[in-house]
Amino acid sequence: MPKHIVRLMILVAVVAAAAVGAKAYFTDKSYYRYGHYRGDSVAEIAGDSPRFRGNAYCKSCHQKQYAAWESSPHNNPAAGKHVRCEVCHGPVGQHPSSVATPLSFDERIALGGHAAVLTDKSAASGSLSQPKDRTQCIQCHEAMPGRPAAQRQVALASHSGMAACNSCHDPHEPKINFSELPRPAQGNPVLGKTLAAQCAACHGPDGHSVNPEWPNLASQHAGYLLKSLQAFKAGTRTNEMMSGMAAGLSDADMENLSAYFSKEGCKRVAGDQALASLGKARSATCALCHGAAGVGGNPSWPNLAGQNVSYLTASLKSFRSGSRSHPVMTSVAKTLSDDDIDRLAAFYASANCK
Amino acid sequence: MDRLDKEKMPKAANALRRNFLRTVGIGAACAGTWVSKTLPAASSPQEAPIPNIPGYDWRKHKWAFGVDATRCIGCLRCVEACKAENGVTRDAHHFRTWVERYVYLKGDDHAHVDSQSEPGNIAASGSEQAFRFDNRYQDAPVEKAFFVPKLCNHCTHPACVQVCPTGATYQTRDGVVLIDHSYCIGCQYCVQACPYGAREFNHTMGVTDKCTWCYHRITKGLQPACVEVCPVEARVFGDRNDPESPISQFIKNNRVSVLKPHTGNAPNVFYVGIDKEVS
Repeated sequence: MPKHIVRLMILVAVVAAAAVGAKAYFTDKSYYRYGHYRGDSVAEIAGDSPRFRGNAYCKSCHQKQYAAWESSPHNNPAAGKHVRCEVCHGPVGQHPSSVATPLSFDERIALGGHAAVLTDKSAASGSLSQPKDRTQCIQCHEAMPGRPAAQRQVALASHSGMAACNSCHDPHEPKINFSELPRPAQGNPVLGKTLAAQCAACHGPDGHSVNPEWPNLASQHAGYLLKSLQAFKAGTRTNEMMSGMAAGLSDADMENLSAYFSKEGCKRVAGDQALASLGKARSATCALCHGAAGVGGNPSWPNLAGQNVSYLTASLKSFRSGSRSHPVMTSVAKTLSDDDIDRLAAFYASANCK
Repeated sequence: MDRLDKEKMPKAANALRRNFLRTVGIGAACAGTWVSKTLPAASSPQEAPIPNIPGYDWRKHKWAFGVDATRCIGCLRCVEACKAENGVTRDAHHFRTWVERYVYLKGDDHAHVDSQSEPGNIAASGSEQAFRFDNRYQDAPVEKAFFVPKLCNHCTHPACVQVCPTGATYQTRDGVVLIDHSYCIGCQYCVQACPYGAREFNHTMGVTDKCTWCYHRITKGLQPACVEVCPVEARVFGDRNDPESPISQFIKNNRVSVLKPHTGNAPNVFYVGIDKEVS
């Protein structure tokens, strides 16, 4: 065989051997094990640690919150609703380890919004975000075209002003939880009547005020009356007359008085009918809490029907000015003009309180 | 001498050629045998060992995903959960899963479509790290509107896997399309091949990224993160080998469809309640 051919064949053989060797050296051993890819990568990808760890993990420590959530509308498997812990609180990660903080600052912002970061006092100790403002709730509950009708939705402009959702709703148990609010007075109306003499000078012996500046008490919710007396005594609500009166009452006195006045029958107060019909048109927001015609609703919120025009007007204006404060009423009152207030007062004063 | 040589040359040349071809032939046969013996996986994948995942045998599962668009409320918890679970870049341009909003206004013959990364929706959330749909249609004459969650379809015949030049993306035995980031060269052929726009390019790492159906979760018996956080069961996941699994029941009890069936990719994400314009 000619020399140059031999040399050429040797060269080809060397190059081929180098190529085969290089391929064997550079190709991962697990390549082609299951197919045209690196077989070890499957187990590598499967080896990542999950960060969302599920409700059972949360429940092992937070049993009270879990129990409240479990029986709430946020956990309704029959309707296909599962607002699990980590939907609002973010992934649990390595929580509660203080060494491996599960969420970075950026992640907290991403998951809970700025408010969640700012209100989470224990952010540095590796706890999870605790959403406290309405940004979290409205992600699911803002009324929006495209959301199925079965989804609970609120029109933000007309639902409780701009109050934080959890001033009324516990996120773990979002149906209004009456047990958290002052319970309806369990007092004795007979004993209450004996105490009522001191109230009668202003509010009348049967709860009908002698001066329209002061509220009628007859037929008012006992829970609301009790809460009001407690607020005057504690100083969270002030009035030059009532603060002094309430200071002298024991807890039992307040319950008995509330029970007495709540049982008295009420009278309809005359109001301007033209204004009243205008007021009715403006009352949709009020009706959410105070009942369609100012009666009923939550026992810890007042009935409005049959109340004095002057008192209603003064109350709304004091909420609006901030001299009286309430998480919902303060923001609602700010949406009302003077005309609105006059009309609403006329409407509720002339509404049937029975 | 010259004449003799000229007469003998053909015979000598023939012998040489014959010997050469015989040698090459035997060599090729030997090489072929050697190659076929060193590559048992390629020639008989059925007998291969299974990946070393504790407590998991990929031969026993066939994963699939369901989306019920009639249930989706567009809260985008799935999008944020996916990013947190998988470390997806926290901006408005990188998503492994996303949600589209389709709105038909009265009198219009087409849908208005937007997703969470659209500028108006980013303005509504106030950050590229949190996501929310703005309420731009609240006063509009909306005839029909709905949300559609999207993700990788983990196709039975994935075009992305076919075009990958390095074997960086592949289909697992249990029906999941994955990316081996250490083999991805960032050529983005797969991004272009995917008819669903399900792949995104990670400019920081220089590799393509995509939904894995949370392979690290499902191989541990967990649900994908987006399914875990969906508050309304709009996302369903499970094993088609198990007739009682959520996805088997979902497919059995609904009239399901897949996106762009004409492309021949045979998706494994099954939709309920989507409209003609959703693709």
